[in-house]
Amino acid sequence: MLIGTTIYALINTAILALMAIGFNLTFGISGIANFAYGAVYILAAYGVWMLLTLFQLPYPVAVLAAVGVNLLLGALIYRFVLLRIRGQALSEVIATFGIGLAILELFRYLGLVGFEYHLPVFVDKSFVIAGTYVDFQRIAIVVFSAVLILGLWFFTHHTAIGLAFRGIAQDERTALTFGIDSNKMATLSMAMGAALAALAAVFIIPLGSISPGEGYDVLIKALAVCIIGGLGSTGGVIAASFIVGFAERFTDTYIGSHWTMIVSLAAILVVLTVKPSGLFGNQKELEERI
Amino acid sequence: MLVVNNLMVFFENALALNGLSLEVREGEIVGVIGSNSAGKTTLMNAVSGLIIDMRIKEIRRGGQRISIYGNIAYKGEDITGIPPELRVKNGIVLSRERHPVFPESSVLENFRIAGYLRTKKEVREVVDYVFSLFPPLVKLKKRKAGFLSGGEQQMLAIGMALVVRPKLLLLDEPLLGLSPMMQKAVVDAIVALNKESGITVLLSEQFARPVLPVVDRAYVVENGMLTLSGTGADLMNNPEIKSAYFGV
Repeated sequence: MLIGTTIYALINTAILALMAIGFNLTFGISGIANFAYGAVYILAAYGVWMLLTLFQLPYPVAVLAAVGVNLLLGALIYRFVLLRIRGQALSEVIATFGIGLAILELFRYLGLVGFEYHLPVFVDKSFVIAGTYVDFQRIAIVVFSAVLILGLWFFTHHTAIGLAFRGIAQDERTALTFGIDSNKMATLSMAMGAALAALAAVFIIPLGSISPGEGYDVLIKALAVCIIGGLGSTGGVIAASFIVGFAERFTDTYIGSHWTMIVSLAAILVVLTVKPSGLFGNQKELEERI
Repeated sequence: MLVVNNLMVFFENALALNGLSLEVREGEIVGVIGSNSAGKTTLMNAVSGLIIDMRIKEIRRGGQRISIYGNIAYKGEDITGIPPELRVKNGIVLSRERHPVFPESSVLENFRIAGYLRTKKEVREVVDYVFSLFPPLVKLKKRKAGFLSGGEQQMLAIGMALVVRPKLLLLDEPLLGLSPMMQKAVVDAIVALNKESGITVLLSEQFARPVLPVVDRAYVVENGMLTLSGTGADLMNNPEIKSAYFGV
């Protein structure tokens, strides 16, 4: 049972990291807390579902289309809404949360709730690993999370735009003196964050079904992981995913499933009491000391 | 190359620059000498265009009103209202005061971030040149910029500006907080990059003593107004400068 729990805890870690990485990317670069994140996640899921069932498109085409739509949507949200209020954290949160509410509640109003709204798994197969059944989808999630994190690391360390991202995240005004356009980078960060949400949805949604409630859930989990890890830090997202991922599964197995939420919320409280800026939130901590 | 004509900058109702006019000709090193709050940084921000970004941010925040009057011409074109990133593309590059670097990135990575507008090959060439200009940086290549000393960070900051391949390099208080030895190293490097690469330099400084001997011309600014101007040697011998800046 211990091995099985550990395996599922690892999978849970990968799921959490995948959910949080897009939110974290946007925040890390532009300081925008995209509270519409859960909504664009669900939007992508419904988008793929519609293209598959109503238009009978092949799966890969539907996924690419949904990712493309989210990319555009993220950029549009920045250009037409956030641009005017950039820099005021509270206004940004209210605006993006408003957009998120509108999207999610629209789906609820349209009555798109129920078990028939789900996405197919990639390959319907399962394996036995160390005496535990694990299906192909979950293995795909773990592999994809790892590849994605490595890919993002490469992107931010070895491409001009990725390096510009890191520059602007550290000191916006200095980045400006090198010709790095802060609005362009913020637009890209919103677009990429939303696209990552779409990818996460395509991988994770097949494990359950699509519902507006799931959107709020994803937002809360992404927030929890990012806050524990230290907002904007990729290393923090990974570490926090492990903490919450393991805490949830082990509580589920050894204490009781109704305690899961309490334990992960308690983990947030403990981490924030000990390190108020999150595990890897170094820069913030310096400010606090001053 | 650069002509600033009757520039006035207000922060709300406070006058930061009052009818300032100056000229920088191609290939020159020009100094702007003044004490704290004389308006040196405001001038640098106005020429580099950062002030336009600051004004937009203040408007969004509902903060203080920044108004700019007069005009700034670069190579005969009026650039007063042009955003900073376009000015960088045209060759006006500012190295801000207090040696700004990206503290979480290594020295090498700082150069690569600064080289956003340049190809990898171009960046590598300039970085080699910067290392010849500032030999102490070679050993620190892999170190995080946040762990460098003030002088090393200043070398890095100037190097980062060079990576952009400026035609007009703006240096805002490059000697601030440096030891006399480090000040000399930085001044020597400024002279070298002007002579070797033909980069025009406009630098602002409150330390007149190390700067005046190397500048072609200098302007003395007080309370946002021009009080004196002339060649470096003229100003060195000026009794007012002697008493105000050299303490003689």
